[in-house]
Amino acid sequence: MIKVEHLTKHYHNTIAVDDLDFEVRPGVVTGFLGPNGSGKSTTMRIILGLDHPNKGRATVKGKRYAELRDPMQEVGALLDAKAIHPGRSARNHLRALAASNRIPYSRVDEVLEFAGIASVAQKKVGSFSLGMSQRLGIAAALLGDPEVLLFDEPVNGLDPEGIRWIRDFFRTLANEGRTVFVSSHLMSEMAVTADQIIVIGRGKFITQGSIDTLTATVKGTVFVRASNHQQLLAALTAHGGVTADANDDGVTIGSLTAEQVGQIAFDAGVVIYELTPQRASLEEVFMELTSDAVEYGSSGVRHES
Amino acid sequence: MNRDISLGSIVRSEWLKFRSVRSSITGVVLTLVFTIGLAALISSVVRGHWATMGTARQLTFDPVSSSLVGVLLAQFAVGVIGALFVTSEYSSGSMRTTLTAVPKRIELTFAKLLVLLASMLVVGEVACFGSFLLGQSIYSGVVPTASLSNGATLRAVVLAGVYLTLLSALAFGLGLIMRHSAACISVFVGVLLIVPLIFAFLPQSWQNAGEKYLPSELGHAMVSPTPVANEFGPWTSLIVLAVYAVVLVTIGTTVFTRRDA
Repeated sequence: MIKVEHLTKHYHNTIAVDDLDFEVRPGVVTGFLGPNGSGKSTTMRIILGLDHPNKGRATVKGKRYAELRDPMQEVGALLDAKAIHPGRSARNHLRALAASNRIPYSRVDEVLEFAGIASVAQKKVGSFSLGMSQRLGIAAALLGDPEVLLFDEPVNGLDPEGIRWIRDFFRTLANEGRTVFVSSHLMSEMAVTADQIIVIGRGKFITQGSIDTLTATVKGTVFVRASNHQQLLAALTAHGGVTADANDDGVTIGSLTAEQVGQIAFDAGVVIYELTPQRASLEEVFMELTSDAVEYGSSGVRHES
Repeated sequence: MNRDISLGSIVRSEWLKFRSVRSSITGVVLTLVFTIGLAALISSVVRGHWATMGTARQLTFDPVSSSLVGVLLAQFAVGVIGALFVTSEYSSGSMRTTLTAVPKRIELTFAKLLVLLASMLVVGEVACFGSFLLGQSIYSGVVPTASLSNGATLRAVVLAGVYLTLLSALAFGLGLIMRHSAACISVFVGVLLIVPLIFAFLPQSWQNAGEKYLPSELGHAMVSPTPVANEFGPWTSLIVLAVYAVVLVTIGTTVFTRRDA
């Protein structure tokens, strides 16, 4: 439904998006994950025809955004919830959008009701909290009942109730067969929101898959407490290609499974008191995936886990 | 149901946007207050001092221009309206929302321009006819008055409203090019106020040759019922000003379609 091919975008001397290729399919919630400044928003702006790419192209249902005949009925988007004229009321903001795409005003009241902001429809948008603005942005995205929806960091500024509401809402949209594309810089958020995740860093495609497949690509460690740590360490090292650290508490082994560690200990005649596989946390996975591609990394303090 | 975007639907949307923000409403009210209010003030003062004004000034007195003097203030109000119609979309960031709904940028600018021209023409003509009629009714009985049945008088009043309309289009074009409210309004005010001051320092022959091209002088020629020395005639002035507006809006539309939003 959304297709990005060899997309490249420079701003002056910096490359915001670098030869990006991916596809977003209908019926699932697709997460768009990357650190801040990795090119997520730029990519979304190009998909929406706001920015012009230097190379490549982005299409929705096979067409460039500007070629869509009735854009709001094909694509709904929420980029920056605060990017609304502050002096206009929520209802007039939505009515102006509806009028441009020949959407009846009755639909404006429907989406206001759905987004839970019908009671403040007459208020000026400038007085809205970020959470209310997010809801207004979602109402605007839904105006044309589109098949494809894009949300840039939609969870920002929402309270826990709102976050839950929006997750359920994405799920419902996807179950209706729509294409739902949601960006975030938080892996934990994506883990509960998205079925499929596209990871980018420094404007480049890194990987794509479900949360489980992404987590599996980053191997965890195995922690062992045994009768003789030195003997175990020697046996492990003899095995070759094994990284292991020993301290008073026990041995932490990378690059081996718990089964392999158990077998080596058994063969070496070491008694195991404790054997714990430690799965990489979501944040560790994210750090691992994007570590080479952090635009604004904190220098000096590297996150080693 | 045919729900395609058309120029009509964009115009409808832009018209709703135009009238649903305070800056447009304030601008329109100021335009009317400046023109009609100043007409009332100046005409009353002239009426009160008419007997003591002296024959020379009485003979050269122009009841048309004097009742339209508020145009000099109103031109800044319409400029701000025209500029903000574009620049406020950039300062608030709503241009991105607008362009997501209407990705056809040329059609969008055209629809915006239509809404601006139509509303400013109505406001401008109401303001100028209101000023003229109020001025004449105050002069009546003491000061010689002009009548709209006189072709030159009617032309001056109509063109005063057209002058305001074209100035708002000029500011609109500047807004498309510059995108920043303050920068755009500064340039607009500078062209109307400062450039004529600079011209005053140039040699007389240069002044005579160049001054008539200044928007403020074009306006002067358009609003005057009688020919003004060293200036174009009213219709030529109208055409020159319209050319300025077309050039600025065309440049503005071109950069608008090419730039990232």
